[in-house]
Amino acid sequence: MTKRALPLRWLTSEHPLPWLFPVTSLLIVFGLYPVLYSLWLSFYKRNPATRKEKFMPSWNWEKLLSDERVWDAVQITFTYAFIALTLQLVLGLTIALILDSDKRGFGVLRALMTLPLVVPPAVTGMMFLLMYDSSFGVISNSLYSLGLLSPSTPILGTGSTALWGVIVADVWQWTPFMVLIMLAGLRALPREPFEAASIDGASSFQAFVFLTLPMMSKIIALAVLIRGIDLFRIFDYVKVMTDSGPGTATETLTAYAGTVYFKSANFPYASTVALATLILVLITASLFIKIFKVRF
Amino acid sequence: MSSVKISNLEKAYGNVKVLHRLNLDVEDGRFVVLLGPSGCGKSTLLRMIAGLESVTGGDILFDDKRVNDVHAKDRNIAMVFQNYALYAHMTVRKNMAFSMRLNKTDKKTMDEKVNWASSILGLDEYLDRLPKELSGGQRQRVAMGRAIVRDPDVFLFDEPLSNLDAKLRVQMRTEIKDLHQRLKTTTVYVTHDQIEAMTMADEVVVMRGGYIEQSGTPMEIYDNPNNLFVAQFIGSPSMNILKCEVQQNNGAQSAVIGDTHFPLPTNSSLQVGQIIHYGIRPEHFHVSTQAQHGSIVGTVKVVEPTGPETHVYLNIAEHSLCAITRDRIELRPGDAIHLQPDLGHVHLFDGDTSNAI
Ligand SMILES: Nc1ncnc2c1ncn2[C@@H]1O[C@H](COP(=O)(O)OP(=O)(O)OP(=O)(O)O)[C@@H](O)[C@H]1O
Ligand SMILES: [Mg+2]
Repeated sequence: MTKRALPLRWLTSEHPLPWLFPVTSLLIVFGLYPVLYSLWLSFYKRNPATRKEKFMPSWNWEKLLSDERVWDAVQITFTYAFIALTLQLVLGLTIALILDSDKRGFGVLRALMTLPLVVPPAVTGMMFLLMYDSSFGVISNSLYSLGLLSPSTPILGTGSTALWGVIVADVWQWTPFMVLIMLAGLRALPREPFEAASIDGASSFQAFVFLTLPMMSKIIALAVLIRGIDLFRIFDYVKVMTDSGPGTATETLTAYAGTVYFKSANFPYASTVALATLILVLITASLFIKIFKVRF
Repeated sequence: MSSVKISNLEKAYGNVKVLHRLNLDVEDGRFVVLLGPSGCGKSTLLRMIAGLESVTGGDILFDDKRVNDVHAKDRNIAMVFQNYALYAHMTVRKNMAFSMRLNKTDKKTMDEKVNWASSILGLDEYLDRLPKELSGGQRQRVAMGRAIVRDPDVFLFDEPLSNLDAKLRVQMRTEIKDLHQRLKTTTVYVTHDQIEAMTMADEVVVMRGGYIEQSGTPMEIYDNPNNLFVAQFIGSPSMNILKCEVQQNNGAQSAVIGDTHFPLPTNSSLQVGQIIHYGIRPEHFHVSTQAQHGSIVGTVKVVEPTGPETHVYLNIAEHSLCAITRDRIELRPGDAIHLQPDLGHVHLFDGDTSNAI
């Protein structure tokens, strides 16, 4: 074999480093650096009066643990993520089962299904804000006329319903994502076991329970993981629709971090709350992966 | 148990017709074998009986009741799929017990049945494995087990032994036959192995290209093939076929190919000059090293002793033939060999239509 010129010799598959360099540097610059920077920031105590920062590594973390608003936010985040995820999973699977057909027109339906995904989340928030409006909002007015809601308790303005109002927007936007993943899984299922099951006397419901679900379990787990992580970071809908209100009824962890950052300009503490979110996501996701034995 | 009747059954995929107006009557308790080359529509027919393929035309009747629109799950059939179709996420035991689990059989009966099937099929050690941890032949036996634990009206088998080794295949063949003799369940069995067909069937249905060529008991089909295709498809080594012209010599008719004259049965009503296919099975030659009255001479090419009998492949003029003898005669390639056709077993087919004359 002839020796190639030096730069070319480095660009063969025997030398992985040059190939790994671009994506690694991107990850370092845009992934690792911000995290490390936040961590470093969280070790400083900010004096709001003097606007000076002082190195005190445990200050913010101690504050975090004793901050009632953080614990409230954790609870709201979990509630939000759990309800939204359950709804999206159930709806997503149901719609996917309906759309999993080779009949005419279903391809078009599948394509239409993806439309909500291309709407920017902030716009979705605005859209629902308008639909919830107590004087002209279509959703509010429908609920009024059905007697399910009274104009004295606007959806987003009432503590007990505000979180649901936000969840509905999230579900509208992200259920199609679940549908897409579930459809990909359903369409890839082999046909033969289902034929065998119908010979064995299985009704379509039994086939769903005993074949579809177990065969889809990996894909379902993966979808739950991806969506779950995303839901923990919920920010845009809350910001646009309720701005954590009324009171702190819809204040999730990231929303709280935003408030601390933008309203009190306490950057070190905001970083700490943001990191807490990250830690929460990591723990929850790892537990999920462990318990449900998710494999990639 | 029920009879299966098929009348004018048709199947088309789009514009492609794969089954053409089939008629078939499987009496209650019979063992019918569908036999034919690859792609002739055996699986399609079986899957239609099972209710897995829609019917394009005609009817399927179970016990004279039309079942065209009855769902597979309600037909009470058991089927072994050509591609096994096992439940990949279930163990062998669960695969076999699935149907019983669905109809809520009690645990004890379920275990008994699974153990009974697994001992017949030699799967005892594999009961707790997943299908992906089994060899092809073992998977096929699981598919078999899943069917035989049932108590169906009709058994459908789609080449259930195709992936087993020779010994196991013979053993399973006997087991299936024994099972059928005990349970007397109507069975439709697909194979392209004519030995399987001959040994197992009450009735053989020979198919080709979406048509039924002939059906009858194995012996009927063997002794009286309707046409050239059936004649050559049944029997191993297959029937010798020579395209001959009928000529008149010394007051008797004979079939002539090149310089060779094959004697014809005296009762055949052939015209001089007619083109025919002259068919004779290898075992219906009398083989000798000496010239006999009316014998034909050929040159030995290959000699294959199988133990009880010897297969001799030979050339007559430029045509290859096979003859089988049970006599122990010394033959070497290149030797001259003399054949006397057994006139009672000569099959004649029309030169144009290939149908039996
Ligand atoms: N889904 C389909 N679409 C179009 N043609 C099909 C389809 N399924 C089968 N065929 C055609 O129908 C014919 C019969 O197929 P079938 O599977 O019944 O053959 P077979 O006799 O079982 O063959 P083998 O012995 O190889 O299993 C074949 O020519 C095949 O190409
Ligand atoms: Mg087949």
